[in-house]
Amino acid sequence: MDRREFLAASAAMSATALFPSTLLAESSKKENSSRFSKPLLHKMDGDVKEFQLFIDIHQQEIAPAFKIHTLAFNNQVPGPEIRVNKDDKIRVLFKNKTELNHTIHWHGIHVPWRMDGVPFVNQMPVMPGQEFVYEFVAKPYGTHFYHCHWGTLLHMQSGMYGSLIVEDHDDPIKKKFPYEREYTLLYSAHDVNFIRNELNAMLERMKERMYLMSNGRFDKERFAVFDTKEELEKAVHHGYQPPYLVNRRAPSELPQPNWFTVNGKSYPSTPNLLIKEGENIRVRLINAGTENHALHLHGHDFWLVCDDGIPVPQPWQMNTVRLSPGKTIDIIIEGNNRGIWTFHDHDTRRVTNNGLYPGGNLLALVYEDMPIEEAETNMMAKKMGLKSLPIVALDE
Amino acid sequence: MFKSKFFIGCMVSIIFAGMSSPGFSQLAPEVQLGARGVISFNLDDLSNNNSSQVNDFSDTSLLIGFGQKLYSSYRGQLVIGFQFPDADSDLGQVYFHQVFMKIEDKTNILKIGRSRVRSSLIEFPTLRDDDAIYFTDVLNPFSSGENTEESQYGNVFELAHIFRQRYRLRIHGEHFTETPVPPATAETDFDINSLGISFDYCVPESQQWNRNILNQIGIGFNSFRTDRPGYSGEADRALKNITFSTILNLKPDPVHFWDLRHQNIYNMGFGEVNQVRTYNDMTRAKSISSFTSLRYLYRKLERPATQLSASFGYKAFPDLSNSAGQQQYVINGFYRIGSNFDAGMQVQHSKFEGDLKDILGRSELRVQFALVFSVNMLWNNQFDSRDSLLNLEHGYIP
Repeated sequence: MDRREFLAASAAMSATALFPSTLLAESSKKENSSRFSKPLLHKMDGDVKEFQLFIDIHQQEIAPAFKIHTLAFNNQVPGPEIRVNKDDKIRVLFKNKTELNHTIHWHGIHVPWRMDGVPFVNQMPVMPGQEFVYEFVAKPYGTHFYHCHWGTLLHMQSGMYGSLIVEDHDDPIKKKFPYEREYTLLYSAHDVNFIRNELNAMLERMKERMYLMSNGRFDKERFAVFDTKEELEKAVHHGYQPPYLVNRRAPSELPQPNWFTVNGKSYPSTPNLLIKEGENIRVRLINAGTENHALHLHGHDFWLVCDDGIPVPQPWQMNTVRLSPGKTIDIIIEGNNRGIWTFHDHDTRRVTNNGLYPGGNLLALVYEDMPIEEAETNMMAKKMGLKSLPIVALDE
Repeated sequence: MFKSKFFIGCMVSIIFAGMSSPGFSQLAPEVQLGARGVISFNLDDLSNNNSSQVNDFSDTSLLIGFGQKLYSSYRGQLVIGFQFPDADSDLGQVYFHQVFMKIEDKTNILKIGRSRVRSSLIEFPTLRDDDAIYFTDVLNPFSSGENTEESQYGNVFELAHIFRQRYRLRIHGEHFTETPVPPATAETDFDINSLGISFDYCVPESQQWNRNILNQIGIGFNSFRTDRPGYSGEADRALKNITFSTILNLKPDPVHFWDLRHQNIYNMGFGEVNQVRTYNDMTRAKSISSFTSLRYLYRKLERPATQLSASFGYKAFPDLSNSAGQQQYVINGFYRIGSNFDAGMQVQHSKFEGDLKDILGRSELRVQFALVFSVNMLWNNQFDSRDSLLNLEHGYIP
C-alpha cells in the first residue's frame, strides 16, 4: 500500500468515525429523503392513470416539539407528489374525510373547465363524506401544483397543497442541462393562531350546517350563496346581512404568518439539497403560500430555466430568485463550488420560527463528496461535543 | 432589625433584577377580556303595598385574564375581575368577585383564589345570576343574607380532574364570607369553612352541535363547617347539602332550540331549627328546593336572535313547626339588537308561605326592562382551549 492509498483509507476510516451524526451519513441521507414529498402511486384503468387522494385533519410537527393541526392530503403535508407524463390521461378520486368542504384546483394545468376546482364556478364543493372524480389530460409540461380552492385563505396555509409534475420524454431542460437528480421544494407561510381559530370556527359551523342540510333546511341565506347579484341585493333589501357586514367568521384580522415552511417543515427540519462536484441538479420551487420569497443561494449562480412550468427562451443566471405566491420556478444548480452552502429566503423575516432567528426557510446545499476534513469544527466546538459543520443552531 | 430588613429588601431586588436582565425579554401572555353589562329598569311591587322603581346596573362586570404556557404541558392563568353589586348591598360600589390563578393541563385544573363557589352545578337563563338564588344555589350559612354575592363567591381551592373528555370530578374547599362583619373591618379569618365534591357529565360547548339529548348531569355535595351550638364533633357541626342537576336538549335543533334545565338541592339541615325567623335559620333548616327552566332559543344565520324562557322554583321546609315554603316564577325574553347587544324583559313573581311570609311578606313582583351587553375578546392568542373541536376530536396538542 503506497502513501496515497494509505491516506485515502485513513480518510475513509475517519469518515466512518465522524460522519454518523452529520448530514452526509447514510442515516442522515435516508432521513433527508423523507423530507421530500412522497410520490403518489397510481393504478392503470385502461389507458388512464388513476390516483386516490383523500383529505383529513392531521397533526404536523413543523419543527421539533412544535405541532399544529393541519389539513393534509393523504395524511402528509405537503400532499403526495403526482408525477405524470405529458398527455397522460389522469383520473383523481378525491374523498373528503373531514367535516369541512373542499375542492381541488390543478394550478397551471389546462383542465376542462368543470375540473378546475373553483367552488360555485366550476363545481359544487365536495361536502363532508363525499367523493369527487377529477379527470383531465396532463398538460402542459412543467412544474405545477394542486391545492384546495375552498376557503383558500385558510385551507392552503393549513396544508392542502402538493406538487404536480408533468414530464416530457424530450425534456428540453434535461437536454440543455443534463441532470440525474431533482428536488421539489414547496414553500408556505402559516399564521398558526389563525389556522387554529379558523379551523375550530369552521368545524363548529359545519356541524350545524350538516345537521340542517340533512333535514333539507339549509337555504341560500344560511349558506351565503345566491344565483345572481340581483338576488343578493333583493335579500339585503329584505333585511339579510351579508357575512362581511356582521363578520360571521372569527377572527376578523387577516393572518400574520409566524411560521415558514419548506415541504411542510421549518428549520431545522427543512430538507437539504444533495449534490456532487460536477453534477447538475434541478430544483423545482413552488410557492403555495401567501408570502413573497427572495431565495438566495450562497456560493453559486444558478440558472432560471422555467417559469410557471414553461421553459424560458433564454435561461439566465442569478443567485437570488423571487418566488411570488402561486408561482413555480425551476432552477439548475451546477456543482462547481464544493462545500455546504446556505439556501435561504433573503427576506429574513421568513427565516424565523415564531419570531426567533434562525428558523423558517433555511436549507443547505450539501456536496456529498466533500472531504470530511473540510467540515471540521474548531477546538471550542469539539469540546462541546459538536462533531462537524453544519451544526443545528436555534438561537444567534 | 433595620439592617436585616434592608438586607432582605436588597436580596429581593437582586433576585428580581437578575430575572429581568436585558438578555431575557418577557414573553407576552394571552390577554382575555370579558365584559358584561346589565342595565335594567326595575318595577317592584311588594306585598306590603310598597312599590319602587330602580335603575339597576348590578351584576355588570369586567374580567381580565392573562394566560401563559408553562415549561411543560401545563398552562397558567391569572384572572382579575370586579362587578357592581346589588343596589341594596353593603359591599360598596365595586366588588372584586374574581381574583384567582389557575393551572391546568389536558385533564387537571387547579384553581386558587376568589372565584365562583361550587354552590350550583348549572346556570339558569335568568337576567341576573342571583335572580333565583334561593332556589338555584346552596346558600351561605355564614352570611347575614344581605348580599347575594356571599353565596356566589368566596375564597376557593378547587382541583378538578377530567376523564374521557366529558366526566369531571371536582374536590373543593372554600372560605365562604362570614357576616355580619362590617366591610370597614374586613374579615381576618380565612380558613376553609366548607368542603365539597362533585361529579358530572358535561358535553363541551364546542360539541353542542353533535346534538346530544343529554347535555349535562351531575351530583354535588357541600359540607359547611359551622359553629353549631351544643355540638363539638366535626361531623355534627357540618351542615350538609346535596345537589342534583341536569340539562336536557329537548329539541337539539340549531335554529329552533329547546332545552330543559333542572336542579334539586337537599339541605339536610339541623334538627333543632324548627322555626325560620332569620336568614341564618333559613340556611340551617332542613329544606328541599327544586328549580326548572324551559328555554327556547331561535338562532338566525348561525347567531342567537331571540330567547324565551320560563322558570319555576319551589322550596319547602318540611321540619318546621309552622311549615314554610316559597315559590317563584320567572319569565323572560331577549332579542338581539346587534352584535353583543340584547334587549330584554323579565317578570319575576315570588310567593312565600308560613314562617317565610312573616319575614319576607306574602309575595313580590318585579318587572324588569333591560339592555344587556356581553363580549369575550382574546389577544395574543397562543394556544388552543382544551375543549376546542380540534383538541377534542383530532388529538390534543398541549
